This record gives sequence, C-alpha cells and structure tokens, in this order.
Amino acid sequence: MKKLAGLFAATVMMFTMAACSNDQATTTESKKGTIKLVLKDEDPSNPATQKYFSNLEKALKKDEKLDVKFELVQMPQGNYAEKLNLLLYSGDIPDMIYFQGGDQQIADQDLLEDLTPYIEKSKNLKSIMEPYNEKRMKNYPYLLWIKPLDLKTPVIRSDWFNQLSSSKALMADPTPENYKAFFKELVEKAPGGGKPKNAITAAGDIAELDYIFNMAFGLNQTWLKKSDGTYEYAKVSEKEKAKLEFYSELYKEGLLDQQFATKQWDTKEKAFYDGDSGVLVGTNGKVIDIYNGKMTQVNGKEAELTVLPPAKGEFQGYGATDISKESRGIAISSQSKNKELAFKVLDYLASPKGQMLDRIGFENEHYKITDDQIQLTEKYYSEWYARFWEPADFKPEKTLKTPLLSKPAEESAKLVQQYYSEDNKVILDEESSAKWDAAENLYKEFSADVITGKRPISDFDTFVEEWKNAGGDEITKFVNGKLK
Amino acid sequence: MLQTKWKWIKRDWVLYVMLIPALIYFITFHIVPLIGMKLAFQDYRILGDHQWVGLKHFEVLFSSPAFFTVLKNTIIISAMKMIFFFPVPILLSILINEVRHGKFRNSVQSIIYLPHFLLWVVIAGIWISLLNPEDGGVNLIRNFFQLPSLDYMTSKDHIRWVLVFSEIWRSAGWDSIIYLAAIMKISPALYEAARIDGASNLQQLRYITIPELSGTIITVFILNLGFFMNAGFDQVFNLMNNSVISVIDILDTYVYRIGLVNGQYSYATAASLFKGVIGTVLILGTHFISKRLTGRGVW
Repeated sequence: MKKLAGLFAATVMMFTMAACSNDQATTTESKKGTIKLVLKDEDPSNPATQKYFSNLEKALKKDEKLDVKFELVQMPQGNYAEKLNLLLYSGDIPDMIYFQGGDQQIADQDLLEDLTPYIEKSKNLKSIMEPYNEKRMKNYPYLLWIKPLDLKTPVIRSDWFNQLSSSKALMADPTPENYKAFFKELVEKAPGGGKPKNAITAAGDIAELDYIFNMAFGLNQTWLKKSDGTYEYAKVSEKEKAKLEFYSELYKEGLLDQQFATKQWDTKEKAFYDGDSGVLVGTNGKVIDIYNGKMTQVNGKEAELTVLPPAKGEFQGYGATDISKESRGIAISSQSKNKELAFKVLDYLASPKGQMLDRIGFENEHYKITDDQIQLTEKYYSEWYARFWEPADFKPEKTLKTPLLSKPAEESAKLVQQYYSEDNKVILDEESSAKWDAAENLYKEFSADVITGKRPISDFDTFVEEWKNAGGDEITKFVNGKLK
Repeated sequence: MLQTKWKWIKRDWVLYVMLIPALIYFITFHIVPLIGMKLAFQDYRILGDHQWVGLKHFEVLFSSPAFFTVLKNTIIISAMKMIFFFPVPILLSILINEVRHGKFRNSVQSIIYLPHFLLWVVIAGIWISLLNPEDGGVNLIRNFFQLPSLDYMTSKDHIRWVLVFSEIWRSAGWDSIIYLAAIMKISPALYEAARIDGASNLQQLRYITIPELSGTIITVFILNLGFFMNAGFDQVFNLMNNSVISVIDILDTYVYRIGLVNGQYSYATAASLFKGVIGTVLILGTHFISKRLTGRGVW
C-alpha cells in the first residue's frame, strides 16, 4: 500500500513538474525575442548607441525578465524620412520604427499597429502621456511620442535685454507694437557696441516669427471659423494680411534680418552668437538649453538668455498645438512577430528604471551618484539626449542634485505649457498632397515677396484667388467636410 | 563577315575584357531599374499585389497647374545652361591650350578644376555669401562703381542667371578636359604646315582647331541633350528660397517633394518617366538631324 501511495505521489509530482516546466518554457518563450528597430541618428556602429542598447538589454533582463536582443538597422546618410521610406517600400519592415514624416502612407497600407489597446494595458506609458498625446493617439493611433511640446520661443541675451528701457514695457504688455518698439531700441541702442545689426533673424521663412506673432494677430488655429460657421485657411485670411503687413514694416525698418530668406539654421545661429542678430527663435527646452550653453560659453555668464513672451493681441501664445496626430514618433509594425514584446520595451522605458537609462545616460559618464544624489556631468549637458520618452514629470529613483535643464530652458518649457492651446489641423488625404504643395508654395512666395517689398500687400486678394485656383478651394471644401 | 568580326574580337580581347565592368554597371544601374518604371502605372503597395491603374498618375500629373510651371522652369533653365554653359568649356580648353608656360598652365588647370570637387551645399554657401547685398563681393564691386546693391538670391529676374553662372563656375573647368584631350590629339604637323604657310594664331584656330574639335563638340552636345531635363537637382535644391520658388522649382525638386518626401512613389515615377521620355526623344531626334546635316552623330 505504501509502495502504491509512493508511486501515486511520484506520478503526481512528475506531472506537476512537467506542467510547471511546460508553463515556464511557454513564459520564457513569450518573453524572448529579437526586436529589429530603426531610429534616426542611431548608427549601430556608434559606441554610444551600442552601449545604450546593450545596457537596455541587460536592464530589461534584470528588471522585467525580458530576454530581448536589439538589432538596429543602419540608415544611409541624408534625409531620414526619405531614406526610411525607401527602406520600408523595399519591403524590409523593422518591428519598431521611428518616423519623422512619411508615416501616413505606411499606415494607409495597414502596416502600422494600432497602439490604443497596448497603451490601455500599459503599466507606465499610460500615466506619462500628456493630454495632447492622448488626443493625438485618438485621432491617429499609430505613432507615439512623449516629448515636451515642440513650440518655439524667442530668446535674447540678458545683458542686452537689461540695458533697454523698452524691455519692461515688453514684458508687461507684449503687444506687437511694444515688440516693434523693443526691436527698434535694440537696433538703435546697439548694446553690443555697434551690435546687433538687426533685431531678429530667422532661417529661410517666417515660420519662426509666427511663433511670436501669429496668436496676437488672431491666427490661433490652422482653420479659422468664420461668422457663417464655415472654416477658412488662416494663411488666406484678413488676419494673415495684417500680420504680413507688420512683418514687412519690420523688414523695411531693418529690424528683421535682411537676409532671412537665404539664411540656413547654422548661419542663423552664427548670427545670434556673433551678435549680428539680437533675438533668435528656438524650440523650447533642450534646444534653448543648447543656445544658452553656447551663448554663455562664447560671451560669458552675463549673456545668459532671457525668454521673451509671446505677443499679445487678439490671443496670446506661441502657437496652437496640432492634435491631429503625432508629427513624429515610434510605431510598431503590424507585420512584426514580436509586437507585444516591442511594446513591453516601450513601456519599460517609461518606468522610473527605464527613464534613468533613457533620460540621463550612463552612470559615471553622464551622471555620478554623490551623497546619494544624481549629479549630472558636463558630458550629459553637451551630448546626452533621450532616445525615447521625455515626460514633463521626471521622477528618478534618487534626487537630482543638478537640474536637467538650464534656467532659460526651463522657463521656455514652462511658458509653452502655460500658453497651451489646441489646433484644428486636419489630416489631408493622399490625393491632396500635390495640390497642397502647389498652394503652399504660392503662399511661401507671396509672403516672402510682401515682406521684402517686392509685392505690395494690396496684392493679397489676387494671391488668395491664385491660392484657391491652385487647389486651395478643393482642400477648403474637404476640410469643411471634416470639421463640421 | 562574322569571321572578320570574331578576328577583331580575338585581336582586341583585352579591350573587351575591360568593357565588362562598364557593361555590368550599366545593366545593374541603368537597364534593370527600367523594370521599376511599371510603378508609374500601378498603385504601389509594400505588401500584397500592386493594383494596375493605367494612366491615372499621368492624368493627375498633367492636370496639375504646378506641374506645367515646373516643366516650364526645367526647360528654361536647361536651355539657358545649354546655350550659355555649353560653349564655355570649349573656349576654356582653347585658351588653356594657348598658354605656353608649363607651370602657369598647370596651375590654371588645377584652379579651374577645383570647384568640381565641391558639394553643391558648399557652393551654395559660397555663392550666397558672394552675392549678399550687404557685404557680398559682387555688391561691393557694384557699390564701388556707384551702382546700388542687388539681392540676386531673392530676385526672380536674376536667380536663373545665378544658376547658370554657378554651374559654369563649378563645371566648366572640369568639362574642358574632354576638349583639351581632343585638342591634344590634333596632329602637330597640321599646325606646323599652317605656320609655314603664314597662318596667324586665329587662322590656325579657325581652320584647324575648331574643325578638328567639331566631332567631339557634336558628340558631347547630343549626349548633353539626353540630360536636357536634368536641370540640376542639387544645385536648385541648395540655392532655392521662398522668393524664387515659382521660377526655379524644377521637375527634379518637384518629384523629390511629392514623391520621396510625401511617399507618393507612383506619382513620382510617372513624372520621372515623362522626363526620361523627353530626354530620349531629344537625343534620338538630334542624332538623326545631325547625321542628316553633318554626317556625324553619336553612333
């Protein structure tokens, strides 16, 4: 009997162990895999990239028991969106893809995974999403990008700013008129000993100026609602006409860089650091941080930047935030065999542990732990950037001894958040892109010509007619159908 | 007949072997990609079957007013380059050939070849600085002669000339090599005989150099016509700004924006195919006209 009971117990144990080992095997199988990914500026041969993904592999194994092997795709030099599209159109679709444009055509072919259910089930990602991320995902659920708002803010050297009597009036009431008075004094007084030559510069077009002035002129959305309830494109509205007239005055009076049309981003920044231009418009946060670092490096501590407020008029703000979709971000291929695993990686990177790696880099290189606090190094400020997420609320495991951003950079990010408003931009269909290109080119040329005095502002109505005939009318009809 | 040809091949086998890499290159990069032209008649899908859509993309292309603007710009810019650029390397090679001092001649050659090795993005930077209305070299010279400054880069009247002159600056020296080689091939006996007969330098140029060069000139001209619709993507892309879009936006920049940036490959292929067809017609047409008139052609 004892023998029989022993045999029975052994059999039960064997089955239990077998079941357990089977279960374990299945679990391990589901958490193991290779993620092929393509990211901008991440060359697989770059030692920093190699170390990042190697550290990530180790961290995933340790913290999440995920056995992931990353396989980074080497991208040729050149325009990322263009090269990526060529890669994808060749049929080679990685599991995880960073897009910077060109994603819509791929999503239209059902090649991108709807991330909504994954986010719903996520442990960390759901909680770090901003309201605009949530809205964008609702409208277009294929791209995810948790970064600060990418609006741009104007900045000026503090030592120059403090020397001008119009500075106070500008800060107290930043109307376009006060801005103009400020620009005028800046050029006339030339606090840099004959510098600056002009008050504000821009790279190639007026888009950067628009971050300051659009809202003040009532251009608070891409499509403006008219009194009859229909929508018109902001760039062909009377409000745009008034704004262009204002810009042309700035140009005529030598306040706006006379060479803005042919300036590139590098020559624009050089003009700023050299003091040829007083005000520069740059993306809030990290970019302003870089500008501030370089400016103080070149011209001393007193040249630390001051962030200027958005112009105040009909509205105030640095621009409306497009919530139609993420303009860039991470997608997961619908053809991937490791979709769940790819999302788990993204979710881990949103966790406090994942953020420690993604946000502040490598220990003893980009940060040091001293007195149980995180001290960021020079190398962090000069070269580190988060590959994935940058939530506004960063909670590392230990206290930060040194701030993530400089004061002006933090101020720029704060102001952008403060003036947050939403845009009503509509995603256009594929057929409209050629028409949109033609209509937009007409605007670009007309606006440049008006500002530089080659065409009078009285030609505005003629331009609007040309714009409508170039496809603007059809697109307006399409948008009105969507915005109803 | 066949035996004679075989004999030639046998005799010159080394030359034929040397031809193989070039043939492989042309087959791989110029013949095989022709198959991809079918994309102009399809709606391309990355996975699954591509749908044949006939001439849909051509209809969209020809119904767009923007397309005719870029087509017009392409033809104007190409024609300007053809007329004003084409004679410069010929002239340059003749002038270089007249320089007798060896070291000076070598220096001149090196200096004029140099811009060919610069990227258009660098050249654009140089030209934008050079033409700057505030302190650019060209405007400083104008100001010296009491002339007002001109903003060439944003002027619709001048920008095409900027394209032509920057092209000459970059490529004329390099392109003159082929003509210099052709001049070197001319028998010195002809010049010696002419000199004995009392021919001046100009007469030698008129009656020996230019007639001897004509074969090369015609061949290069016909081959260049094949690239007539290539008005210079890199050059235009780097020198374009908002003020001059309507006068220098060309087929290549249009295809790049609509096709590559917006991912409409079928539409872009249709535009490229159209461009290729025009190039082929031009090259064949000129070849036959030249054959009729001068008895010389590309083949």
